[in-house]
Amino acid sequence: MRNIDNRKYVIAIIFVLIPLSFIVRLFYMQVVDDKWKDRAATISENKILTYPARGIVYDRNGQKIISNEVYYDIHVIPRQAKNTDSLALAQLLGISMEEYSAKMAKARAYSSKKPSEVVRQIPPNEFSQIAPELYKFPGFFEVARTLRVYPKEIAAHVLGYMNEASPKDIEKDPYYKPGDYIGRTGIERMYEKQLRGQRGVKYYLQDAIGMQTGEYEDGKYDTIAVQGQNITLSIDWELQEYGERLMQNKLGSIVCIEPATGEILAMVSAPSYDPNLLVGRHLGANYGRLQKDTLLPLQNRSINSAYMPGSIFKTVMALIGMQEGVITENSSFPCNKALLGCHNHPTAQGVSDGVKMSCNPYFVQLTRRIIQQGKDPSVFKDAAIGLDIWADYVRSFGIGVDLKTDFPTNVTGNVPDTDYYNERLDFRWAFSTIQSIAIGQGEVLITPMEMANLAAIIANRGHYYYPHFIKDIEGSSVPDIYLTPNNTMVDSSYFEPVVDGMWRVVHESGGTARRARVDSLAVCGKTGTVENFKRISGKVYQLTDHSNFMAFAPRDNPQIAISVFIENSGFGGTWSAPVAALMIEKYINRTIKDTVKENRIFNANLIPDINDIIRE
Amino acid sequence: MRTQENKIFANIDWALLGVYFVLVLLGISNIYSSVYNPERPGLFDLNTEHGKQIMWLGIALFLGIIVFFLESNFIRKYAYWFYGFTMLLLIAVLFTTPIHGAKSWFGFGGVGIQPSEFAKVGVALALARFIDQNSSSKERKKMGKNAGISSLWGIIPFIAKNKGTALILGIPCVLVLMQPDAGTFIIFTSFLLVLYREGYAGNILLFLVISVIIAVLTLLVADSNFMLPFTKMQLSGKTGIIIALIFITGAFAFVIKSFVMRRNRKSLYRSLFGSFIIAVVFVNFVEIGYTNILQSHQKVRIDLLLGKIDDPDGEGYNINRAKAAIGSGGFIGKGYRSATLANASQRHVPMQSTDFIFCTWSEERGFLGSFVLVGLYTFLLLKMVVIAERQRSIFTRVYAYCVASIFFYHFMINVGMAIGLAPVIGIPLPFFSYGGSSMMSFSVLIFILLKLDSERKIVLQ
Repeated sequence: MRNIDNRKYVIAIIFVLIPLSFIVRLFYMQVVDDKWKDRAATISENKILTYPARGIVYDRNGQKIISNEVYYDIHVIPRQAKNTDSLALAQLLGISMEEYSAKMAKARAYSSKKPSEVVRQIPPNEFSQIAPELYKFPGFFEVARTLRVYPKEIAAHVLGYMNEASPKDIEKDPYYKPGDYIGRTGIERMYEKQLRGQRGVKYYLQDAIGMQTGEYEDGKYDTIAVQGQNITLSIDWELQEYGERLMQNKLGSIVCIEPATGEILAMVSAPSYDPNLLVGRHLGANYGRLQKDTLLPLQNRSINSAYMPGSIFKTVMALIGMQEGVITENSSFPCNKALLGCHNHPTAQGVSDGVKMSCNPYFVQLTRRIIQQGKDPSVFKDAAIGLDIWADYVRSFGIGVDLKTDFPTNVTGNVPDTDYYNERLDFRWAFSTIQSIAIGQGEVLITPMEMANLAAIIANRGHYYYPHFIKDIEGSSVPDIYLTPNNTMVDSSYFEPVVDGMWRVVHESGGTARRARVDSLAVCGKTGTVENFKRISGKVYQLTDHSNFMAFAPRDNPQIAISVFIENSGFGGTWSAPVAALMIEKYINRTIKDTVKENRIFNANLIPDINDIIRE
Repeated sequence: MRTQENKIFANIDWALLGVYFVLVLLGISNIYSSVYNPERPGLFDLNTEHGKQIMWLGIALFLGIIVFFLESNFIRKYAYWFYGFTMLLLIAVLFTTPIHGAKSWFGFGGVGIQPSEFAKVGVALALARFIDQNSSSKERKKMGKNAGISSLWGIIPFIAKNKGTALILGIPCVLVLMQPDAGTFIIFTSFLLVLYREGYAGNILLFLVISVIIAVLTLLVADSNFMLPFTKMQLSGKTGIIIALIFITGAFAFVIKSFVMRRNRKSLYRSLFGSFIIAVVFVNFVEIGYTNILQSHQKVRIDLLLGKIDDPDGEGYNINRAKAAIGSGGFIGKGYRSATLANASQRHVPMQSTDFIFCTWSEERGFLGSFVLVGLYTFLLLKMVVIAERQRSIFTRVYAYCVASIFFYHFMINVGMAIGLAPVIGIPLPFFSYGGSSMMSFSVLIFILLKLDSERKIVLQ
């Protein structure tokens, strides 16, 4: 029996061990392991995001160019949706029964307690029909979202568009959640951070069927949505609109810059599209259609296309020559057509003449002096030294370098240097090999933006500001880089003969751009014509030349610098110059006197027909 | 010696009574928090569960006072009568209409009474009486000799020799299984602890552990197959277990052959072989019970516990929510009436005022609260052991162990279930779970114990 009495200890030990194991387990669950706390949070807490209105965008004159409109998404929490009259609901929402069933199946598969989208972006006028009926369908509710509205159907390339954040965007910036919109191109992308504002979050407690039952921690972690910052662009909305009208039925671009500040006044790329196409429900379909268009309407030619500069590049040659001391403003070169073809004109007696007459041999000989300065007895080594000096000069004009424009691009022009040719040519080279760079053909490439900036440099007599769109950000300031001038390597004193030449191009008989004249304004300009080869179905065709023109006005205290580039339009003076003149007149005088000139441009269709080209 | 018979409250164990009141009051405050409804903030509102629980407490205390007016001898004398009465109730309840698939309730105008709760009191009293009675006769000595069983094989003759005990325990077991109410059935197995203490079958605990191991292994492999090594034979999991048992038996036989004297071998071989047969029968019983007899939801609960399935939002919903509630309590808890899961308005944890009441407590009071509550129950259990061991009356001692065992099982299974250490079995946590029958039966169990204990000095054999 003694043995049996000891059994009380066994029982007592059991009565202690089991509770002890519970204590250990509870300590682990409640104090050590965070797994169940996370689990509890997913079960019992939820949050509502409140979306701020995106910042409004104004033009330089305070005109609203992008605003917002409220759209409505219809969401459903499947568990709360009971006894839904699906036919009536589908009809109300304007979708087919199949679509409705598919959406509901998807929503249920995702979660029975969390909301899923049923219909997206119902415009306010349609929603006003739906709203009073929606209460009949428990579990269905609307979520308001603001979407972009572009009051005028212009400047699509500049403004850009928005679409849903991709998994990649979300990975890069955890601010974004699936379904959020993000600026994809243009201003919407560049100023995304300022425009988007700060999303608000409201945490709440939910019950087992997902109904809201109270605030989480008395709203301690809730935040209010902060509206995005409004921004003002340097764009002149009227000028932009006018530029787009002029460029209708043409391929090409116009870029206007205010020389004194580097502010971009207009940026036209033709053909364009209605920016409202890339908003809302039909974005995907419209984008696909635009992408397939052979005229590449989505391409922003002003900034993302590089062309040979043609004759406008001669102005730079003259400036470098004077700065390097290989010529003076009065240096004269004969128009030796053996060197390079030219049109008939009197011999250029100096830089001003050379620019006005755009004499090819003049600039070939001039550039030879820059590149072959005789610093090395070997003509090849000499050319290499000279070319690098030349290239540094050209780059100081903002060509082929990053212009730090507040616009998403990675395209620049091209300035060939020694390395460039050594890589590409498998024989020894000297100036004679590469002489076409002197007249802006060959390996030199320039974007219309760089071309407008070049016009601004000459207008400023030697310096420029990085071209930019931003004029004012509500609540913060324009970045410093846009407020400091960049100097070229050419002293301002050398600019006058070139400016004079450009004035004579427009105003004197024998100038190449007499069509660029504007009454009462001293316009300085330079034409360019660029040979155009195109590969179509494996065969290379020479097409009608591209025509370009750069200008600024007035000659003293210039207010506008402009580049116009029209593809396949022939000689620069014929089409590009008058377009530039109209733009200048519009910007400075605000009205156009010469409606004949205007109508000639409006009515011209310069889009080449590929079938015609092949037939020729 | 002063006569204590006249003093009803003399010799009361105040510590036990104190723990009782602490648990009861904490329990009601916890139910209040768990089901709090801002539209019915009144503590005594009889339309709320806390209001009703207070009413049940009142009735329980009334029953307690009646018990205090009885004499120990009276209780002892009428133990079988009370047992018989509760058994009749268990039979009668089988003729009611089922609620949630089980015939466990007598309904009286919105109030339900669960006779199986009272059956616990009846069985405790009857078992105490029976063991007391037998121990005072010559039978006790005879039984004492045969009390031990040395092998599983011994179970059959053991039951045959203890028909009385087997009957007292067996009748209610069969009756509650007919409801069916597996939870209460398991509670009745708690009396094995009492039998152990009283000298029955010394190895019963060891056998229990071995059976649990065999059962768990069988359940784990019950519906899977495996490939016999070096062959292409597909064998069921059950066959695998039996093969393992053959190997173990062989190993034991080898040990006996090597180390035991020849004359003792024969009986050992017999025990070994008998145990093997019992084990194989047991494995088959478990396997068939699991695959064919258990209802699918019970099967799922076992699978969840064993980790065979993981389905936090489906089959494992209850236990997953319960664990999340407890785990999220942290060290100091979310605060009174601040549960975000185990709360009637949130409804994440189902049955949070009854079977899963521990969740509300742990979520709101955190680890500190859990520790205090587990500590209180441990104190209660050990106090009962102390009370039992100081009795001169066998009746009171056995009864005290019965009460301790019942409380222990309720506590172990209810809390173990909430923290994922026991399968989900719907039995109340004493004094915490909402429910009139359990409040009354647990209180009466305690009050009878207090009464019997208070007369320990005058009850002489």
